[in-house]
Amino acid sequence: MIPILRTEKLCKSFSNGATQQHVIKNLDLEIMEGDFTVIMGASGSGKSTLLYALSGMDKPTLGKVFFGDTEISDYTNDWLAVFRRKNCGFVFQNIYLLENQNVLDNVLTGAFVVQKNSPELIKRVKELLAKVGLTEEMQKKYPNQLSGGEAQRVGIVRAVINEPKILFADEPTGSLNSASGRDVLDIFTQVHENGQSIVMVTHDIKTALRGTRVIYLRDGKVVGEHRMAKYGGDDPKERREKLTVFLDEMGW
Amino acid sequence: MKICRLSLFNLKKNKREAAAIVFLTLVTAFLMATFAVSMTQISSAFDRAFEETGSADFILLFEDDKYRDIYRDILEEEYQVSDVRESRVLVGMAASTISKEGESTANNIIFADESTERKIENFKKLNVLPDNEIEKLSHPIWLPQYFEITAGYAPGDTFTFVSGGRNYPFTIAGFYSTGLYNSSRHMLKCVITDDDMVLLSTVYEEYRLIAFDTEKQFSYEEYYEKCSARSNESVASIVILFDKDTEKWSETNFLYVFLYMSVFLSVVTLICALFLILHKISKDMEEQMVQIGVLEALGYTSRELSCSYICEYILTGGIGAVTGGIAAAVFSPVMDTLTRGMINRDVHTDVNILRIFIVVISIIALVTLFALSRAARVKKFPPVVAFRKGIKTHHFGKNILPLEKMRHSINVRLAFKGICSDLRSNIGTGICIIAAGVAVMFSVYLFDFFKSGYDGLLGVTGMEIPDISMTMMSGVNGENFCDEIRKFPEVEKVLLTHAMLNKVEIKGSNQNATVISYSDFSLTDNIHPKTGRFPAYDNEIMISAKREETENRHIGDNIILKGDVCEKSYLITGIVSAMNNDSMSVYMTEDGYRRIRPSDRPNTVEITLKNEEDRPAFTDKLTSLYGASAKDAAYAQSAQGSLEERIRAKADEKMAVLISQYGVTDVDYAIRIGDTVISGNSSHFMIKDISSMKVLAKSQMASIAAVTKTFSLWAVIFIAVVVAVILGIIAVSAVKRQRREFGIMKSMGYTSRELMLQLTLRILPVTVISACIAAVLSVRVQRIFWMAGFGVQIPESLPLIIGAAAALVLYCLTVTYISAGSIRKISVTELMTE
Repeated sequence: MIPILRTEKLCKSFSNGATQQHVIKNLDLEIMEGDFTVIMGASGSGKSTLLYALSGMDKPTLGKVFFGDTEISDYTNDWLAVFRRKNCGFVFQNIYLLENQNVLDNVLTGAFVVQKNSPELIKRVKELLAKVGLTEEMQKKYPNQLSGGEAQRVGIVRAVINEPKILFADEPTGSLNSASGRDVLDIFTQVHENGQSIVMVTHDIKTALRGTRVIYLRDGKVVGEHRMAKYGGDDPKERREKLTVFLDEMGW
Repeated sequence: MKICRLSLFNLKKNKREAAAIVFLTLVTAFLMATFAVSMTQISSAFDRAFEETGSADFILLFEDDKYRDIYRDILEEEYQVSDVRESRVLVGMAASTISKEGESTANNIIFADESTERKIENFKKLNVLPDNEIEKLSHPIWLPQYFEITAGYAPGDTFTFVSGGRNYPFTIAGFYSTGLYNSSRHMLKCVITDDDMVLLSTVYEEYRLIAFDTEKQFSYEEYYEKCSARSNESVASIVILFDKDTEKWSETNFLYVFLYMSVFLSVVTLICALFLILHKISKDMEEQMVQIGVLEALGYTSRELSCSYICEYILTGGIGAVTGGIAAAVFSPVMDTLTRGMINRDVHTDVNILRIFIVVISIIALVTLFALSRAARVKKFPPVVAFRKGIKTHHFGKNILPLEKMRHSINVRLAFKGICSDLRSNIGTGICIIAAGVAVMFSVYLFDFFKSGYDGLLGVTGMEIPDISMTMMSGVNGENFCDEIRKFPEVEKVLLTHAMLNKVEIKGSNQNATVISYSDFSLTDNIHPKTGRFPAYDNEIMISAKREETENRHIGDNIILKGDVCEKSYLITGIVSAMNNDSMSVYMTEDGYRRIRPSDRPNTVEITLKNEEDRPAFTDKLTSLYGASAKDAAYAQSAQGSLEERIRAKADEKMAVLISQYGVTDVDYAIRIGDTVISGNSSHFMIKDISSMKVLAKSQMASIAAVTKTFSLWAVIFIAVVVAVILGIIAVSAVKRQRREFGIMKSMGYTSRELMLQLTLRILPVTVISACIAAVLSVRVQRIFWMAGFGVQIPESLPLIIGAAAALVLYCLTVTYISAGSIRKISVTELMTE
């Protein structure tokens, strides 16, 4: 497999007054194309920080991040914004829909930043929304009229509408109940089956089971890695047990 | 106490907005308090001057040879004026002088001796040379304060009059405070010795001065009618009138216009301050909705929370208003100096604390009222509603501008969607931009008009401004003389007209008219009908724009003019924007003028040179060819040389005296000495007087132009700062409020620049609409300004209006874009990990 993302000696520190907090330390990592990479670790281990550094949302303090052959860590914020719109999709724990826009417009706001308006695009957006269970009627609703699960589904459609090369998700089921969470994870699985590279941060073992590769972080360093078959391609019980063993080894 | 703590917390959190409100209220209070104090100062400065000098309130100047004792009798008999003071003075209209810097200048001058001056007023001398030095002076002169304050002369300086190429140097013995005749825009009275009066009587026209005071209402029109009825002669054409009210108006009008403009600027800043308060309270409440809910849940009442907001603005508005009031009081001496320079009189101010206090209290009250009206909304948010952030985020309405139907740019579409979501704020912004736009565009028009000095004003004088105005001796054939002058290579144009002092009475009007007449108005350069056309026939007339407005006369109406012996009706064919002669002139053809004054012939040649610089040399040339002016020749000493030369010079001098002082038109002489007969005649005395209207206009208008230009430039800068403050605060608060929204969009891949552009485009429609409204209103304000201040209407320049409006839009957008730069600081990561 070809690495789509690569880091070299990646460091990320935050200063808090006189003290410096080193969150990521000399991290070398490769994310392969087509992989569903799950990043796990204890709170404060640097999972989200790593995700944002990989996605160009944040700049590393030291070290390099490569997207394919292009080093993205040295560019300006506006260049990174253009990079993100072309190559990345994001799903957040807090969903972050635009409150003053309805469901359809929320997705279109993401779509039109890359693509021109066309009947085909509108049709595709509506189909995608319908596919995740958001009917024509629901597409006219505003975020405050949606349940958490519905809102997160909108968030996923918004993230994938531009067919990004890689999809980042930061605890996408963190604020959802178990039923809604399962629905959302099913969508992720479906997206991955279509060949989409995904990098997801989670605390939840059920969520992690959907991945093909689990990376465990501790104190800003990768301390373990666990590979799995595509979700549904093996025995779920065995899959769960192996992952549990791995996580136990990691001190989960 | 707890309320104050909440207010202080808010103030600390929003230092920038608090500073903006302090700045705006400070400026408002300063300008308004300065206005309130200055208005009375200016008026009282005049009243005090009249009181201290004991000046007569009314002065009439009659052409001496046309004066009749009956005119004085009428005042005593019909107006019960007990103390009519009569004397003789000399009048030099557009009398040439040499300025302190050695430049040629001109003013309307009245020369009076000391006894005459003491008849008119106390002759209160100021800043004079010591008596022993004055005694040594051969030609001492006392000048009115104008020359000290505005023209910058000092005692001991040389003050030189020029006539017919000859200099008449005087030494300034000192200055004096005077009631009337202290204005370069009208007349200036100079006090000279009896001997010098005799000397200059051969140079300048003699007038009979009648000074008086009256408690009764004095109507010039009524007085003229009575004089004309008893003397069977037209009086209006031979008299120059002046009174306290006219002097006061003429000297202070311009200053008042500026004070009113300052008030207008202060209203603009006040509107902006009040809008900012409303805007800020609304946005604070939106932002602090949950906090309001928490505080209410903790037991704070709505009233206490409202009061915390109001306290914040009483504090900021109070600091601004009080500081502005104090600044106005401190600035008062500076204002005195500025006023002194504008009205040419000493201004002593006792700072009127009460007025300043009223202004300060009014501003604080207004700020409190506006804050109260908006802060009272806290009541609408009981804890549970507040926790849910009111109803604002709940959308049940129609989706305005759906993206599905987007055609072009997503940024433009999102910006326009944003406008709809914040309509109220946009209306407020619009009002601020309109108010500021009117002020700034009006100032731009003013600056543009005065950018090249007083040239703009010359263009709206409504009269020709020739390089040389030459009054001919009676009997000289004007047409032939003009033809002769036209042949000179230096000359561009020659026009024949009447002297500017030809006044006529107008039936039904208390404002006499100066007649401006030409045989063909199409040859004039500086007289342009605003509407209608030039008079072409002898029964046609044009009137000034001010007369049109004040007397409600229009094109197509008839107007009746009273001549010496008859009344004639004229049809109004055009309206001219005219600043000359109190903006009340009338324009008619030569034939038209003869209908009321059949015996008058045009006596003034107006010469425009190809090169203005040639004026002194060409004046000398005219003098040498057509004789020095008769007055000048009469004053000249007999030349040196041979016997014949000396005899001819003496003969010229005698003839000049006959012509200039006794109205003789032709003289022939023959003198026999032994076998030799020396003969000659007065044919070479063709010039009665030479002056330059251009130089006079310069002395009257240069200071106005300079002051207005400076004022307008500062006004533009000041308003630009106010606009920048307001738009900057709005943009920054929008970024603060929509930080989450912008963060989300950044995560989607929208660049900071695109988001800044969106925020900028949100104010585009309101800015464009406001700029258009401001353009229309500013044109209206400009018309009022010119009519009130100068009695004229200046043509509006459409490209300038469009350019100013476009510049305003561009400026607003640029300020917003730059202020929106705080979007760059929004960190997506921080937002997502909050």
